[in-house]
Amino acid sequence: MTQTEVTKEEIMAVYPKVAETMADALGCDVEDVKLDVSLIEGLDAESIDFLDMVFRLERTFKIKIPRGKIVENARGDLPEAEFEQKGIVTEKGMAQLRSYLSEIPAERFKTPMKVADIPRLFTPETFCKLVVHAQREAQPAA
Amino acid sequence: MTAHFAAYSFVDRITEFIDGSRAHGFFWVPPGIRVFPSCLVAEAVGQLAAWVAMSKVDFRGRPVAALATQTRFLGVTLPGDVLELAVEIEDCDDNMVVYGGSAFVEGRQVIELEHCLGPMLPVEDFDAPHALRERLSLLRDRGAPRGRFSGVDLPETVVIEHVAGKSLRATLNVPREAPFFADHFPRNPVFPATLLLDAQIRIAADLVEKSCGPQFASPVASRMTHFKMRAFITPGQEVELEATLSGQDALAARVMLSAKVAGKSVATARVEFAAREPT
Repeated sequence: MTQTEVTKEEIMAVYPKVAETMADALGCDVEDVKLDVSLIEGLDAESIDFLDMVFRLERTFKIKIPRGKIVENARGDLPEAEFEQKGIVTEKGMAQLRSYLSEIPAERFKTPMKVADIPRLFTPETFCKLVVHAQREAQPAA
Repeated sequence: MTAHFAAYSFVDRITEFIDGSRAHGFFWVPPGIRVFPSCLVAEAVGQLAAWVAMSKVDFRGRPVAALATQTRFLGVTLPGDVLELAVEIEDCDDNMVVYGGSAFVEGRQVIELEHCLGPMLPVEDFDAPHALRERLSLLRDRGAPRGRFSGVDLPETVVIEHVAGKSLRATLNVPREAPFFADHFPRNPVFPATLLLDAQIRIAADLVEKSCGPQFASPVASRMTHFKMRAFITPGQEVELEATLSGQDALAARVMLSAKVAGKSVATARVEFAAREPT
């Protein structure tokens, strides 16, 4: 998995299609899918909507996004035992999460944070990054 | 006769079973029942996919209805017909199954399901794993005894508001007891999503017939898209159904469907009714 940071240009290249796909899944206007809106708190997304969005993004972009990929990407090279303990994200894990979800304002990272609550942080930008990562992984190695 | 594998089970025999990949099977629609609506045909296809998915994960999980990208209703199925079922599994693991499938009657396709997704939930919450294993063996071997389905009483809807040319609201009272709850599911009775859809499509058809002119007399749904089931509906719950006309042209009328329980959305979908050819 490549850990190279996703550039703003890469994000903006996929954002229009991501926003359209998410609006379709959530039944909202595409204008409401701002890059930085919280999907759960701002757009009332539920767990089934996350499945739906991933499912649609896979088909829209012809990519494969394994379940739990966002958290896996966020964890990066950190072993699972160091990322979380008993369902709570560790200090090291929080630092890793802040770094991966750099688009999310610092005040939204509440501690202690349950692993199950990580999706509360997700925004459309998170999904744009997910798509860019999946596109990179789909490309044959140079 | 117990209701398990009878009151809401629509696969009698599996003739091809490629683990985690595809299956082919049959359901003999009993001749003595009154109707066999298209939603039950969709249920039959979904159940065949569920057998493949449960077997793939060694009966740790069972899929439940959640998302269906597109369902095309291509023809009617009558009591006495033999339904030939086919499913292709696109993806399956402990978390979810993604599949597509079809049903045919005498070689004529009557339904097509595309890109359906069901999250896998712990099988033990719904049924006894050993009973499911035995049932699958029976289906793949000599097949189950036919004719055990004795029909289903489709819950009635009561219209509470009709805005001419625009929308229709109705309530559906899910029965507290019904034979299908013993089969769907024995350890956790859930109102089948396919029966909810049947009720939703009926009120949408009512709205289209009242709103869209003579070319939509006695409308029959031709396509459903964007189906999403957000929560289980349990025995005794009151469901508020709403159908809103979203578009109409010479070819089709389109309706948005929603279902709520206690004000919370439990299901959404879009359905299309094809216009009749002018005579």
